[in-house]
Amino acid sequence: MKKITVFIAAALTLTACSPPEGVRVSGSSTVLPVVSKAADSYSAASGQTVIVNAGGSGAGFSQLAQGLTDIGMMSRDMTASERAQYPDVNITAIAIGRDAVVPVVSSEIYDAGVTTLSPAQIADIYRGTIQNWSALGGPDRDILVIDKEASRGTRHVFMQVIMGEKEPKAGGADLVLGSNNEEQTALVQSDSAIGMLSVAWLNDDIKGLTLDMGTAKIKPDLDVVRAGQYPISRNLNIVVRDDISPAAQSFVDFLRSPDGQAFAQDAGYIRIAP
Amino acid sequence: MSFADAAAVMPPRPRARRDSFTLWITGSAWLSASLAGLILLTLAVQSAPAIRQAGGTMLSVQWLPSAGQYGIIPMVFGSLVVMAIAMTIALPVGVMAAVQLSQIKSLKTRRFVKALLEGLAGIPSIVYGLIGVSFLSVFVADIFDLQTGRVIFTAGLLLSVMILPTILTLSEDAISAVPNALTQNAAALGLYRFEIFRSAVLPSAAPHILGAGLLALGRALGETMAVMLIIGSLDRLPSPLWNVLSSGQTITSKLGREVGESAFGSVHFSALIFSALILVIITLSLTIAAQILFARRAKTIGLLHV
Repeated sequence: MKKITVFIAAALTLTACSPPEGVRVSGSSTVLPVVSKAADSYSAASGQTVIVNAGGSGAGFSQLAQGLTDIGMMSRDMTASERAQYPDVNITAIAIGRDAVVPVVSSEIYDAGVTTLSPAQIADIYRGTIQNWSALGGPDRDILVIDKEASRGTRHVFMQVIMGEKEPKAGGADLVLGSNNEEQTALVQSDSAIGMLSVAWLNDDIKGLTLDMGTAKIKPDLDVVRAGQYPISRNLNIVVRDDISPAAQSFVDFLRSPDGQAFAQDAGYIRIAP
Repeated sequence: MSFADAAAVMPPRPRARRDSFTLWITGSAWLSASLAGLILLTLAVQSAPAIRQAGGTMLSVQWLPSAGQYGIIPMVFGSLVVMAIAMTIALPVGVMAAVQLSQIKSLKTRRFVKALLEGLAGIPSIVYGLIGVSFLSVFVADIFDLQTGRVIFTAGLLLSVMILPTILTLSEDAISAVPNALTQNAAALGLYRFEIFRSAVLPSAAPHILGAGLLALGRALGETMAVMLIIGSLDRLPSPLWNVLSSGQTITSKLGREVGESAFGSVHFSALIFSALILVIITLSLTIAAQILFARRAKTIGLLHV
């Protein structure tokens, strides 16, 4: 009898410990600013807890597929090999905004006159065949080539246009960093760096390069991106499973509503719905 | 019947009596031991796909998962070099400081300094990492006129600060724990203070100081967060090989950056686990070496007291 009481007590305690009904979101640090600000506002209005974590697009996908989260954030498309890893799980991507990935340089380089590069020139920098800014009309200074982790969405989109494949080898890389935040810090700390950043992360210390596409020179302005004319652009996605919880579904609906879309615009991205 | 009588008639206590308390302690001991074994086993099992599919190519220098290349040599090299730099800086400083503290300073100063250092040991590694990114790497870049301060040397330098408390406090303990009889005998022989230290104290404390060093070495190998932020995360051997002012990667920084991104069960994931297994094996061998040293010290002390 005593044993039974202990078991019941234990069972009750463990039930009380089960996690709260929060919506768990994780993934791309590019999509994160939109979702986390939207989550704050959504939580305040509805009382529903939403927990948002970074980790990159790859992590966003695999955590969702493993059932660790309710919503994944991805700044690129799912790859075929990712899908193949989890054949039993049906995952759909939903766009919540558009973004451009811009080749960026330290302000010192930009001010010294390197404002326009062609994809081929940038590719040469990442391959390591161009190693000094003087080869590109800049000062006589070695180029600090900042690359990103191979699975990062920003890199996939950037490299697809610059080098023609999503996960190329970049033999010229000097540093490999992760989030936009980390990359931004390294670019500001250097006076001779090149990197890739989402358009929302540009500022006075980090200048976006104009792309020389042969027929036209395209500036990384928001208007250009909004009009769909910037060559390196992508959808900002959230990914969900078929068996999504009602709480998570209503947060997804919020993200796509006009109120939710306002957060995409505030974060410096382009809305996909009015 | 009095208590003494009862004790007299009781049969001798069986050696391994299975009362609940004994069971509890033996159980705890076995649980702790089996956890270590379980971790090794899990790592070995998870490494199997990579060993089967990538095999010997994992001992190359090229890491490019999209092309099926999983060379872990740059990471192993990075881990060992970073550890070596940290130890080269921290070991002499830590041991010398310990000698000074224990032999020259008063007990009060000693306690104060040790309390400060133990505080240093309590600072989370992410805090060290952020200090490294915002200040240390910038200083290193300025001093050596580098493009970026996120290099192997910076990581080693930062790590040396992180392992200094371990070396200092344990070495100080070792020196202070040398039996008084030993120093007094030496003094009675008319030796000078330095001679007493060199010929009586140091030989007795040396194995323990080495043990302290090995413990610190383990921490240096295992540190992830701080190193990950400042080493540059470049999966490439420096060229030339001894150029520690270039970016690199350690096993832990690699794991920290990539495990979350790799799909569970993929060869990529498995290759990462294999590198973790290598790290655990390195750390484990060092721990065992430390154990042997400790054991030898105990024997020496025993002999001295005979």
